Amino acid sequence: MRIIVHKTKCQGHARCSAQAPDVFKLDDEGYILPGDIEVAEGQQLLASRGARSCPERALELDPTPAARVVPDAIEPRVWRA
Amino acid sequence: MTINAVPDHVPPEMVRDFSLFTSPGMASTPNGDPHAAVACVHAGPPIFYSPYNTRDGRGTWVITRAADQRRVLQDAETFSSHRSIFSSALGENWPMIPLELDPPAHGVFRSLLNPLLSPKRVVVLEPKVRERAITLILRIAASGTSCDVMKDFAFPFTVSIFLRLLGLPDHRLDTFVGWAKDLLHGDDVKRPAAARTIVAFIDELATKRRKEPVDDFMTFIIQAQVEGRRLTEEEVRGIGVLVFIAGLDTVAAAIGFGLAYLARNIKDQDLLRREPDRIVLAAEELLRAYPSVQIIRVATKDIDFEGAPIRKGDYVSCAAMIANRDPAEFECPNTVDLAREDNRHAAFGYGPHRCLGSHLARREIVIGLEEWLARIPAFRIQNATAPITSGGHLFGIENLILDWS
Repeated sequence: MRIIVHKTKCQGHARCSAQAPDVFKLDDEGYILPGDIEVAEGQQLLASRGARSCPERALELDPTPAARVVPDAIEPRVWRA
Repeated sequence: MTINAVPDHVPPEMVRDFSLFTSPGMASTPNGDPHAAVACVHAGPPIFYSPYNTRDGRGTWVITRAADQRRVLQDAETFSSHRSIFSSALGENWPMIPLELDPPAHGVFRSLLNPLLSPKRVVVLEPKVRERAITLILRIAASGTSCDVMKDFAFPFTVSIFLRLLGLPDHRLDTFVGWAKDLLHGDDVKRPAAARTIVAFIDELATKRRKEPVDDFMTFIIQAQVEGRRLTEEEVRGIGVLVFIAGLDTVAAAIGFGLAYLARNIKDQDLLRREPDRIVLAAEELLRAYPSVQIIRVATKDIDFEGAPIRKGDYVSCAAMIANRDPAEFECPNTVDLAREDNRHAAFGYGPHRCLGSHLARREIVIGLEEWLARIPAFRIQNATAPITSGGHLFGIENLILDWS
């Protein structure tokens, strides 16, 4: 499971890290660190609870990372051609 | 009350006779429940226009749905918070900082202040907070089997924590509470007088700390740098005034409304006393059910918002007590369920102006409830007394006489 972090939406409520401090790491101001989060096996329940606790909807659950494979076989310039 | 002319651009069918100041249940009421009283708006349209919905009698749009309030409060470009609400009472025009600044200036000051009240910082403050709660409650328990929670616990507890944070002496606590009461709940004579007193006090404190720095909040502010420069006197004042008044009233009200609920609901009270691990979650539900703040924004441009023709300069009200009773956001919103999960309430607002003190406020409320329930046996509201509640700009509870004889 993966959590997509919409960093610009974070306003430092810190509800996520109150639920799962090991999953959601905050900076010195109390806002979420940038970058999506890969959730380890045993932490999925707490992590999804933490993601659901965000008042700003800054955290998005992505249960199927396999579906997000980037089609690297296609070169961008081929599209533009 | 004066009846205001509704602006021409507001369709008459969107005007409703509702106001956080004048609707039923908003005036000082014995045994009142102002939060339940405002929840009735959810029977009507999601957005409407209230012709009289600020302390100075201005009309506002009223946003009732939590999702719409989130959109308004997250969009500071369209909905500005620059209102000079405090300084205008003095006939002046300077912002309380960071509350009345918009991004990007807002972010500069917010980053300066965030670390002082971050979750990490609150962990450091916690032992002193708990010690203060225990001292006050032990004194109450030793002196009888009843007390006025507001006067004997909620105010002295929250205000003294906050004075310590600011580096201000405890012995002036009653004076500060008096100023705050006059400012937040006083009449047209008391309010400007209190505002002037608070400004003079903050200015004097800043002058003192400039001459003789100590390890406290005001010294931090006058020594701080933003964008490579020191803060101006007006900025120091804007921060000082905001922090002073923001910490004086709201947390005490939250503790008061929470203990009033528990006094009337003995089963919930017993459960939390038996299983104190439930208090953290319960405190969130009490914050959802009994928040105290209405947030007002000013439209910076014309916008059609969910069918409402909002025009530049219009006031837009996002009342936490209304969002928190939105049935589209919360199942059975008028039922207090102390085990409610996924409780994304609006008590501390949404968007960049999320309450700076929210982490400290939460700890104070949880610690206050924990220590109260651990030391005071089954309590109820004393016979022949009635807590007086009020609506308005800040919902409040004036007195709460509890009895555990």
